[in-house]
Amino acid sequence: MEQIAADRAAPRIARAARSAWHIDVLRALTAADLRARYGRGPIRMLRWLVDPFALVGVYLLLVTFIVNRPGFAPGLSLACAVVPFQLVMSTVMNAMSAVTTRRSIILNMAFPRTLLPVSSALTEAVGFLASFSLFVIMMAAYQVTPTVNVLWLPVLVVTSTIFAAAIAFPSLLFGLWFRELRPFALSFVRTLFFLGSGLVPLAATHGNVDTTLRLNPLTAIFESFREVLLFGKPPQAWQIVYPLVLAAATMAIFYPLYAREQRQFAKVVE
Amino acid sequence: MSTSVTASDIGIHFQFDHERRVVTPTLARIRRRGADTWGLRNVNLELRPGEGVALLGPSGSGKTTLLRVLAGIYYPDEGTLTVNGRIGSLLSVDAGLLTLLTGRENAQLLGVLAGESRSATQAALDDICTRSKLGASFDRPVSSYSQGMRARLGFTVAERSNPSILLLDEVHEAFDHEWREIVRQRAESILAAGGIVVAAGHDHALLEKICTRAIYLESGEVRADGRFAEVQRSYLDAF
Repeated sequence: MEQIAADRAAPRIARAARSAWHIDVLRALTAADLRARYGRGPIRMLRWLVDPFALVGVYLLLVTFIVNRPGFAPGLSLACAVVPFQLVMSTVMNAMSAVTTRRSIILNMAFPRTLLPVSSALTEAVGFLASFSLFVIMMAAYQVTPTVNVLWLPVLVVTSTIFAAAIAFPSLLFGLWFRELRPFALSFVRTLFFLGSGLVPLAATHGNVDTTLRLNPLTAIFESFREVLLFGKPPQAWQIVYPLVLAAATMAIFYPLYAREQRQFAKVVE
Repeated sequence: MSTSVTASDIGIHFQFDHERRVVTPTLARIRRRGADTWGLRNVNLELRPGEGVALLGPSGSGKTTLLRVLAGIYYPDEGTLTVNGRIGSLLSVDAGLLTLLTGRENAQLLGVLAGESRSATQAALDDICTRSKLGASFDRPVSSYSQGMRARLGFTVAERSNPSILLLDEVHEAFDHEWREIVRQRAESILAAGGIVVAAGHDHALLEKICTRAIYLESGEVRADGRFAEVQRSYLDAF
């Protein structure tokens, strides 16, 4: 009887060990990516904090303190769109070159390559967290007091990261298949910012425009940040559910294709 | 379960676009197709415990391709491959190292990718530093390493995961005499423990020290398979 129980437990233990190792691989890939980007030593933290300012902070400060834009706290409203958009944009960029930058590893050893897009999203999520200092500055500049609903922020971060991780799969394949078209792909993602509620919040639109903008999953993400940080309300259900449903649909379509294509990565980067 | 490798009718197919870039089968359906070729075709192998096997052949004959198939880097496009055993591989001059990272950071990454847990890799770092004999360079970026230093680090990490199947592709030729001896001793200890060593290269004297069997490849096909001296003779006679 004991032997039968042990035999039944063995595959479960093997599966658990394999899952634990996959988590280790994910952490190792992400840590290596972050070290390559931010360096090492005390300057690493400084680079991590300064990076968001270099990317979008100057623009947001310009909007907040110099350009006179209409609406309620326009700089903060813009930050609620620009900061999560930066996560999506940089994940797409990272994923498109994830295979070529790891060429030497891919040609030397076998490892679970299905983790590469997830690692891209996690790397960028770490940078994304540093961008939260921009929210603090914007809220202070417009004297917007945070409410208890800021506790929703972890949910918004997880939703945005899951969405970014899902689109990392097709992005990686696109970057590998059409290397010369990578700039075009980035322009396309940038266009999605303007075709969503990036510059103009949903509350300032009406009619068909409102409905059309809601089709863009980025609108849901931008608006969820606005609800929590700008208006101090909890996010609406569609703002969480819609990006997650689209992430699941993206995975359903592209994961099987990715799983098949990853078998050919070593040939393509040779 | 004893260490073994069995390959039946293995084939590796390369498809190119019109600019001679390798493309995947999916992409080949979308893009304008170019030529295609087989990197390996109809390869049948059975590697037994305690066997040291040298892959001989001219450049482009399929040696590296076969090693990559055995390492699980290339998936066979036809045929079947069964590998029993833990693989350690050193298949390129840069040894899988990322040049922006230090030796320590690379060891950490490659150790996990080779199958070790994060904590086990972390605990082994000082040992890897000592055994690779990199000294203070271990904490410097790999971009500052010579080829020999990279190969030493790559080899130390690969053999630290205690492989029962060791795959070496020419990179061992980047080693100096002291390290060639270390590689030979490590290969012998793997063979003595019932493991398998497969090595490719053009330094036949070094290969003969490790391998009793040789496989002569040409144009992706096995031309001869047998005792090292006999296969080496048939390879050299072909010129």
